[in-house]
Amino acid sequence: MTVDNGNPFSDFLDDYFAECDDHLMGVRRLLLTLESSVGRSEINRSALDELFRHFHSLKGISGMVELRAAEDLAHSLEDYLRALRQREATLTAQGVDALFDGAQILEQVIGARRDGTQPPSIDGAVAQIRRVLIDAAADRAAAAPSADTLSTAATARATQPRWRCTFSPSADLVARGVRVDSVRKRLATAGEILNAVPRVTRDGAVMFEFELAAALDEATLAAWRADGIIAEPMGDAEMSDAGNGRATPAGLPELLPSIDAEPGQAGGVSPSHFVRVDLTRLDELMRNVGDLVISRARLSETLGRLERRIPSAEWRAIQENAVAIDRQLRTLREGIMRVRLVPVGEIFRRMPFVVRDLARETGKRVRLELQGQSTEIDKFLIERMMDPVLHLVRNAVSHGIETAEERIAAGKRPEGTIVLSAATAGDLVRIEVADDGRGVDADAVVARATEAGLPVPQGTLDASHLLSLLCAPGFSTRDESDRASGRGVGMGVVQAAVEELSGSLSLETTPGAGTRFTLELPVTLAITDALIATVGGETFAVPQGAVREVMEVPASGLLQVERNEMTPYRGGALPIVRLGRLFGLPDSTRERLHVFVVGTGAAALGIAVDRIVGQREIVVRAIADALVRVEGISGATDLGDGNVVLILDPAVLARHMRERPDRVFAATGASR
Amino acid sequence: MSASHTVQGLETYILFTVAGTTYALPSRDVRHMEMLEGVTRVPNAPPFVDGVVFSRGQVVPVVNLRVRFGFERAPYDLRTRLIVVQSAGRVIGLVVDSAREFVNIPPTAIQPPHEALAGMSGRYVEGVASVGERLILTLDLSRILKFAENLSMDLSS
Repeated sequence: MTVDNGNPFSDFLDDYFAECDDHLMGVRRLLLTLESSVGRSEINRSALDELFRHFHSLKGISGMVELRAAEDLAHSLEDYLRALRQREATLTAQGVDALFDGAQILEQVIGARRDGTQPPSIDGAVAQIRRVLIDAAADRAAAAPSADTLSTAATARATQPRWRCTFSPSADLVARGVRVDSVRKRLATAGEILNAVPRVTRDGAVMFEFELAAALDEATLAAWRADGIIAEPMGDAEMSDAGNGRATPAGLPELLPSIDAEPGQAGGVSPSHFVRVDLTRLDELMRNVGDLVISRARLSETLGRLERRIPSAEWRAIQENAVAIDRQLRTLREGIMRVRLVPVGEIFRRMPFVVRDLARETGKRVRLELQGQSTEIDKFLIERMMDPVLHLVRNAVSHGIETAEERIAAGKRPEGTIVLSAATAGDLVRIEVADDGRGVDADAVVARATEAGLPVPQGTLDASHLLSLLCAPGFSTRDESDRASGRGVGMGVVQAAVEELSGSLSLETTPGAGTRFTLELPVTLAITDALIATVGGETFAVPQGAVREVMEVPASGLLQVERNEMTPYRGGALPIVRLGRLFGLPDSTRERLHVFVVGTGAAALGIAVDRIVGQREIVVRAIADALVRVEGISGATDLGDGNVVLILDPAVLARHMRERPDRVFAATGASR
Repeated sequence: MSASHTVQGLETYILFTVAGTTYALPSRDVRHMEMLEGVTRVPNAPPFVDGVVFSRGQVVPVVNLRVRFGFERAPYDLRTRLIVVQSAGRVIGLVVDSAREFVNIPPTAIQPPHEALAGMSGRYVEGVASVGERLILTLDLSRILKFAENLSMDLSS
């Protein structure tokens, strides 16, 4: 717990934003569910209750970070939902719109706080809700003249006793699963949290103070006490100024980052099984593992020099430990890689919201079907796929699907369907966005491309030609004012993003019947850790998983055995391949060579390079063309300067060495 | 064979020079052009391959047309361009001495190459076009890209 850095609150804020994301995601999903209840006498109760809880939590946590606009707006939205729950209002289309609009403003308010920008005003949204509530009250008054007026929240507040509940987290409580967020949930179930503030006590401990309006019985109070929640009745005088001025924002305890994630679709799984991890922390962990690998390499280098000075029994013990560390390191790394895989549903979940908004804006009727949401893909990829997929879905609504009238005239169902699906195919993840709309109009595309001054091929265009025109810079099939589809980015950005990740984009379209965009992305090994080595002035990457050991050997210490070079290694001899010679590069003048050991036992091989310059995570890109697909090179990567760095395939190099060792050294400067 | 045989009407070509001669490729085969920098050598690739570059996120082989046509390799300069072409599902960069013009050439202006035109690039030339004062050799991309006879994917080549 430290109060030293510039913004001691920032960690807490990160968690706040992450938690808001979860709640907002839930809100979107539930609003869509709720929308189908409009006009029905019976509302989907569980959706309503869940939605209420989300807004309620948003209100609570926004209060904690003193984001008043979000707190007030969430409170107002909650009012309407409470009225619905208590059947004081019926769900109207205006009501749903008010909820949707309110949720959107709420998201923007929170987003503005995150980005440090000017938040939008909540007044319009609050007023919209108030109108809906007034209408509901008027309806009720008309139906039952004696009914009281709106403000159910106000009555709840006025009639229920208030409590000040304090919770002081401790290691014991955390061990029992009692954390501030679970406490908050408990309080929220018992009544209404009016205010919540974290406080720092004089001795530096953190506690949380909640102001609660609830009818509490003695049993509840006792149960709470057992879990470190102290509830005291409040006097009138001290009410509602909680949180103003008295709270000391200070470093918050370690338990906060482990706020439970709510896995929207995971039915039956307790939320407390999930821990939210910031991807940058995972990357950091990965880097740490990389550092460990390098330290391990240095250690074995040092050990190697000591080998002859240590009695062999003790040397063996050291060696066994070293091998164990190697193995554990690899397991650790693979484990972290697995943590990075996330279900693709994460990017799908917000699409219904997007489609709904856009359909409403364009006056179309669109149904979105999601398939294969549990398909797993690296977090790194998913974050970069969000925008392209979003763009394709937007396109499908605004360009693909026709208006209901057009569809009826074409003999189709008035409601268009967009299918967003994901599936794993071998090492690839395939994401498809398919619509049953009008298809891509080739003539319109050609006309537009010509107008934009793009070179247009003659003759009949197939889908791949159409796609390359659609993706050409400066192409957009609608007016710039059509903000829905593009927001000025265009298909070119989608294609660039996909290609950036070694993926591919393809198009199938049938006039009048629909369009399908397919994204194919590598699921595995798209990212891997690699050692970066230089030889003869060229840089290569070596996948870390293939490297068993890194060592340094003096060039003069290499033994010439017939036409091969060997170095003493673990009581035997290790054949060495000088990469520079193999690749026809200038020979090194360095006295000490760095050697990667690949393969085990009789298949072990040392690959000598001039220097190992570092270790890093690389994005692997395929080398597709046969012209440059050479043995021993498995792909390419970019280390940040835009230049290609080739990735070695140690397994192939080792195999080559085994099969044709005599020919290896014949390869000298053949390529130029 | 090249699709441009079958196309009616005007076709747009991109003109470029290699070792003093002007050549043309149908612009439909051309993805884009770029300045050439940071080519990474690929060990044991065929001699006319300078290496690879990233072009729009894709690893693209860089074929030196000077070498492909049998001329001396020349150092890159400010006018050197990479023409990224696509053909039969492949994407390849061609290094040329300079490239800057688009022209429309009617199919009628293109004659089959003379028998006498047994220049170094002869086997890749599809036709001869006269545009204004100039003689332009139109190329058959598929023949340029047919590397099978030259391919040596073997480390010990």
